[in-house]
Amino acid sequence: MADTMAMFTSLVVSACATILLLAIVVFIARESWPVWSSFGLKIITGTDWSPLARPPQLGLGTMVLSTLWVALGAMFIAAPLGFSGAVFLAEFAPAWLAGAIRPVLNILTGIPSVVYGFVGATVLVKWFEVSLHMASGESLFCASLILTVMVLPYIVTTSEAAIRSVPAEYRQAAIALGVSRPYMALRVLLPLAKRGLLGALILGFGRAAGETMAVLMLAGNTLHLPASWFSKGEPLSALIALELGTSEAGSPHYQALFAAGLVLLVILFIINLILTIIRKDFDRVVRKS
Amino acid sequence: MILRSFLDRFLLAVFWSAGLVILLVLTGIIGYLLLRGGSSLTLEFLTTAPKGLPLGTGGGVLPAIKGTLMLVLIAVLAAAAPGLITAIYLSEYGESSKFRALVNITIQCMAGIPSIVTGLFGYAFFVVYLGFGISLLAGGLSLGIMIFPVIVLTARDALLAVNEQYRLAGAALGVSRWYMLHRVIIPQSAPAILSGILLAMGYAAGATAPIMVTAAVISAGMSGGLMEPVMALPYHLYILFSQHISMEKAYGTALLLVLLLLFLNVTALLLKGQHGKGGY
Repeated sequence: MADTMAMFTSLVVSACATILLLAIVVFIARESWPVWSSFGLKIITGTDWSPLARPPQLGLGTMVLSTLWVALGAMFIAAPLGFSGAVFLAEFAPAWLAGAIRPVLNILTGIPSVVYGFVGATVLVKWFEVSLHMASGESLFCASLILTVMVLPYIVTTSEAAIRSVPAEYRQAAIALGVSRPYMALRVLLPLAKRGLLGALILGFGRAAGETMAVLMLAGNTLHLPASWFSKGEPLSALIALELGTSEAGSPHYQALFAAGLVLLVILFIINLILTIIRKDFDRVVRKS
Repeated sequence: MILRSFLDRFLLAVFWSAGLVILLVLTGIIGYLLLRGGSSLTLEFLTTAPKGLPLGTGGGVLPAIKGTLMLVLIAVLAAAAPGLITAIYLSEYGESSKFRALVNITIQCMAGIPSIVTGLFGYAFFVVYLGFGISLLAGGLSLGIMIFPVIVLTARDALLAVNEQYRLAGAALGVSRWYMLHRVIIPQSAPAILSGILLAMGYAAGATAPIMVTAAVISAGMSGGLMEPVMALPYHLYILFSQHISMEKAYGTALLLVLLLLFLNVTALLLKGQHGKGGY
């Protein structure tokens, strides 16, 4: 009797939770629906954002570009550093050093993004201003650098697990053939762990693209189309955080901010999908070989 | 041959320096905060309200500490029980049904939703649609939604990690699944479940984006009504910095926030490392 009841309760509660979570996406899509139906895809391709003008201009193009630039930039730095770090931890680090690095990584995932943003703003931005004589140090590059630090723990931990999960036979075969260990790591372990490494990148990219506070404090928040990695920009998340409080509920401005949220979700979804497909391909290759 | 040995040395150098750079950067951040914020972290800072003009240049952060604790409390109250029950469903009752796969995938996806999007939903649903206004309740519930997937996933893994032998022994003795669950499996996995909840609390305490649109304001009293806006540590830090109010207080607030989270995360780590009673 108690068993049936427990099962029933757990079923109902998890159904409710799933519905609630799906409702978030539906709700955000619904709130932004009016601007999609009246502006169409011009919302994504347009680069003019003046929501209070009449008629309002609601182009999110600059923000979409900033988001992609910041997040891909962070991956660009974090991937080589994180993968090398993971190889180091899995293969070369003396036990005491690995024992020091691992808990540090673990604990640093818990530091809130606003603190990373704050440290980035007081150290990096200052440094750019003083040593490179820039009028103001904020840039997409700055934001990418701090995002790199923020996603490194995830990338290193996931990649290390992937490298460790390479079957021992490959390692033994390589050593038996007299291949040096660094060369083995580069040409045997990393290629075989490709699937896990891509997983690490997915995770990192998701974190970086959705991150709000650090980019809000570091990217400079201007509405110009970013011309390079070193110009300022305003990613989607920063736009929402900055303008939601001042937008009138139900106005086109408000709806466009929900459209921004939806675009962010769709970007993350697409990246996930693409990489899942790539991972499946790798899967097949590894099984064949 | 010379080229090969050069390549080996080079690769080795790359791997070593990557490891050391990571360690340096990450510890450097904490070291820097300790160095710069240590002097502002006084007893007065912890026990008084912000003072001065503009507000925050003097005094302390007591209302922000209280606000953050209240927000975290509401979030955990809202998310822990349903999270745990969902985890139990996923690990014990779902078998391998299609529905269980759906729940699993949804929750995994939702764990990846950016916190600002959760805030967006919280704003539209709690603040505007339900008419809570910018308030403690709206912020706490938004944080609850944000930490829900974290609680489910950590609790699910904790339950699944319980030794399979117990389940088999229970089934062999003809004990009902519910009895097994609440007398054996939950007690076994309690430390790990608790560890997940602590992690989720830390996540909620540090989250800024959701509360900056649903709950937090620059200055609020100590009354602590559910329907009133609150101050919160991460938002206070953001304001102190972005409005150029006081760098000294900002360093203090950042350090306080980091220490709070270090405490939560280290406790969680220690709990997770500890095995339930009666382990092999």
